[in-house]
Amino acid sequence: MEIQLKLYGSSKILSNEETLSIKLPNNSNISKLRDILKKIISEKYSKSNLENLSRTAAFFSEKNEVINDSYKLRDQEFISIIPPIGGG
Amino acid sequence: MSLHTALVKIEKEKISSEKAKKFIASKENGAESIFVGKVRNKNDGREVVAVTYDAHDQAVIKSFQSICNNAKNKFDENAKIFLEHAKGYVPVGEISILIAVGSGHRDEAFKICRNILEEVKHQSPIWKKEHYLDGKEEWLPGHSLRPKKEVK
Repeated sequence: MEIQLKLYGSSKILSNEETLSIKLPNNSNISKLRDILKKIISEKYSKSNLENLSRTAAFFSEKNEVINDSYKLRDQEFISIIPPIGGG
Repeated sequence: MSLHTALVKIEKEKISSEKAKKFIASKENGAESIFVGKVRNKNDGREVVAVTYDAHDQAVIKSFQSICNNAKNKFDENAKIFLEHAKGYVPVGEISILIAVGSGHRDEAFKICRNILEEVKHQSPIWKKEHYLDGKEEWLPGHSLRPKKEVK
């Protein structure tokens, strides 16, 4: 299966596009997505200060609500990655 | 109308303190408190020329309304509140956030203003990328919204 990850803040380093397609095993949850993100970052972006992103980011559903690690992802689901925030 | 919140796309318009003052003006209020946050030229010893603000627009507006309504419920239900935050490239010296509060008394006006600022920093999905004089740029660290019980 594949999901569409909308990128915000520091996660925009992961792609020149607004959205990143990520392939996952069927029935994956957010916890699995964190594992795959960690692998992508360690393989391709180890010098970009993103080493903690897979652990510190939150994820929003299409309804803009925080989803927890056990949340089951659907094929082609559109979710947002929310790195640590800091406006003002 | 007692509440105005917006995310301002700075390439198209500016955040205006005059607009904020007009919005909160009321003969019923004895106090006005206005906080203006601006991009400063130094951070951690580095020369900053600008900050780019990124935001999850829908979630930001939802959080702004919730934060302001909570502050009204907590301190003064009759307060008038104006809250705008910049999105996009903001050069040094320009406004990044403006909070204006009109309230019956000074204590409530100050408290609402401070409360909103702190809550925006902790709840609203907004990110800063600093641009430096030497041409480099960097996303700044922040506050994680991941549920605390999940963080190992």
